[in-house]
Amino acid sequence: MAKVFLMIDGRQVESEPGKTILEICRDNGIDIPTMCHLDGLTDVGACRLCLVEVEGVSKLLPACTTRIQANQVIHTQTDKLKKYRRMITELFFAERNHICAVCVSNGHCELQELGYKVGMNHVHFHYLNQKCDLDASHPWYVMDHNRCILCTRCVRVCAEVEGAHHWNVMNRGVQARVISDFNTPWGESITCTSCSKCVEVCPTGALWSKQTLQGKMEKHPEKIAELMEKRKMSL
Amino acid sequence: MSLLDIDERILDVAKLADIVKSPIVDNKDLPEVDVALVEGSVTSDEHYHEIQLIRQRSKVLIALGDCAVTGNVTRLRNVFSKEEVLKHAYVDLPSNDSQGQMPSHPALLKLHDKVIPLHEAVKVDYFISGCPPSADTIFYVLFELLNDRRPHLEQEGKLKYG
Repeated sequence: MAKVFLMIDGRQVESEPGKTILEICRDNGIDIPTMCHLDGLTDVGACRLCLVEVEGVSKLLPACTTRIQANQVIHTQTDKLKKYRRMITELFFAERNHICAVCVSNGHCELQELGYKVGMNHVHFHYLNQKCDLDASHPWYVMDHNRCILCTRCVRVCAEVEGAHHWNVMNRGVQARVISDFNTPWGESITCTSCSKCVEVCPTGALWSKQTLQGKMEKHPEKIAELMEKRKMSL
Repeated sequence: MSLLDIDERILDVAKLADIVKSPIVDNKDLPEVDVALVEGSVTSDEHYHEIQLIRQRSKVLIALGDCAVTGNVTRLRNVFSKEEVLKHAYVDLPSNDSQGQMPSHPALLKLHDKVIPLHEAVKVDYFISGCPPSADTIFYVLFELLNDRRPHLEQEGKLKYG
């Protein structure tokens, strides 16, 4: 297959056509922060952290859902992009109630790591302090909306990998919530198979296993990519 | 009190600085200072006036710890109204039997509706987050400031939440 050549951050890189900007950046060791992207799942471009500048395009494009084209000139680390990445990270922290000190995922949290990466020493925005529910009706797992960033990894892993499509998203804007079935308690769900894939892919402490102490919830979202590779091999 | 976590390095700090007010120094008033480390969030009128005073009297103000930087656990009450919070604590809790009353003595501090981090009340120069904050970072910041250098805290390794 013909190779495609393009410039990323002043470096010439080559690739097979059809890849996304994020894939080619990761292949070439160029670091772009992401939250909603997870290897093994379909990309939706929800978190906007991977926005990049493409010369000749007036708006910023999400690297995870934009396919490369020959001779594109892409910038991934400009001051403007860095400013937006920090702003997005601060908005994650300001929208709901992320209290790291009492969270099961403290120390193993992708949102914390993102904050460190973008150099977030404090949040410039006012905290929204919105009241969020916690659903502990499932016998083994808990959904705490206070810690959810709406990346929808749980929704996609349930629909695409488990095939149950138990999770959904309801409402818009700051009222948006990940819901179980038709916004009914998780423990009453007839579609949930209790497979725990949603818990494993959740980047924060929003989905967690019961009887987990503060800072003890370690997750393995990389298992999903492994599982998808094994499924491909067995076909 | 997290300042004490820097252990024997407090001797290095003491060589370069006079510690004029802290939980380990018995001094009621805050004189004019070069550096003030402030723990905790702003939850009441008393805290608000105190942080204004500290800002006026210090050249460099450092928010120390997650409560000062983000509000942390103290901010959990912000999803309820002040009345709900006070009524729950002083009237509704089973330990209050039926005698519980809302506190109203004029000498008591007056809770604000919402808990805010320090930087929403005054200008903050440096932020040392963490619950508890890292002793190494506290010492790094103090040592840099005492040697007339600017500490750089917006980098991996120096940041810590929770």
